[in-house]
Amino acid sequence: MTHDLDPRIHRALDGELDRAALTPEERALVERLDAAARALSDVPPVPGLAHRVMGIIRRPFESPLERFRRWVTSPHPVTVSLRPVYSVIIAVLFVALLWRTPETGPLLAEHEGVAQFVARFPEAHSVAVVGPFNDWRPEATPLSDDDHDGVWDARVILPAGPHEYMFVVDGERWVADPMAGKYVDDGFGRQNAVMEVQPVRSE
Amino acid sequence: MNQALLLLLLLLPQQNDGSRLTGHVPPAALPGVQAIITRAAQDSLPTEPLVEKALEGGAKGAPPDLIVTAVGAEEARLRTARDLLRGAGAPGPYATSEIQSVSLALARGLPDRIVSKVVGAVRDTAPGFALHAVADLSAHGFGQDSSASLIVAALKTGLTGHRLLDVAAAADREVQRGSTRMQALAKVRAILPAIPSQPVLPGAMQGATRPKKGGG
Repeated sequence: MTHDLDPRIHRALDGELDRAALTPEERALVERLDAAARALSDVPPVPGLAHRVMGIIRRPFESPLERFRRWVTSPHPVTVSLRPVYSVIIAVLFVALLWRTPETGPLLAEHEGVAQFVARFPEAHSVAVVGPFNDWRPEATPLSDDDHDGVWDARVILPAGPHEYMFVVDGERWVADPMAGKYVDDGFGRQNAVMEVQPVRSE
Repeated sequence: MNQALLLLLLLLPQQNDGSRLTGHVPPAALPGVQAIITRAAQDSLPTEPLVEKALEGGAKGAPPDLIVTAVGAEEARLRTARDLLRGAGAPGPYATSEIQSVSLALARGLPDRIVSKVVGAVRDTAPGFALHAVADLSAHGFGQDSSASLIVAALKTGLTGHRLLDVAAAADREVQRGSTRMQALAKVRAILPAIPSQPVLPGAMQGATRPKKGGG
């Protein structure tokens, strides 16, 4: 609860205004306030008061994670000092990286290539490609059909050279790629398709 | 001490192979498969193709005895492939992929003598692409001897690697245009080494992922 104090009373209490200039009512109020202040100064301090007050207003406990989150999300001034020559080098490296990415990508090793597996299975709910490159695990390399036209495809980075493979349709039907044109007996009574992966970077 | 270390080194890859097979190959097939893998390792043959063949059989739900038979056949082909490389004077040691590509060419039906002829003509590079160019031609009805002769001729003009597949593709295109197979081979041989190369499509890398082995 707060009360607005008359500025004249305030100034008289601060000694800025002669009390003789006050009206009798104002002077009576000033004297009551003086008496109250004297009475307060005569009260001895309560033991442990400061400790109890600080206990109430102390910041609630924060875990290290919360402190880190607060530090990360609050603004901090950051100053980076860099010599111009280093700025130029970083810019050149950045441009070189952008220049290479669309063509071959920085991930390909010298004798690797990209195998594009394409299959048409209009009724399928899922299609995957399997081969020695993924230990013949149907869950490892799924094909996608984003536009739902029944044509499924996937691009896989493989060592250059011949690779055996099959498609697994709906998780259970094993099919040799009918468009492969190259096949080899698998030793289990079926045929695997064979794809030649060419290195993207010439030999 | 040295013998113990050697034994440990021999056993380590087998244990890794065994852990990859467990749960993916029928238990009844494991002893037979493991015995073949051990024998291959002792004879310095690559074991990874054998593990892959066993995993393939397990994934396809093949019966245990058929898996052991298929892995044994794979081992025999790898041994033949390694011996053909040695016999043709190809400089060793041979990478797994190199032996495997020769083995696959044998599996695709190329006889030993054709493989020897092509491997002997390939110098300082892996023979995989040359062999599979011949296998491609053979699969499209070209005679094996004349196909091998064309690819050897291409090698002599300096074409190597995947460019040899372009030679096979060029012969196939000539047949599609109406030539007989003999005419097609002759036409392609006449323009060597100026064989058009298949273009690499822009953006071929987009969305490409690297497959992972040995999961779960």
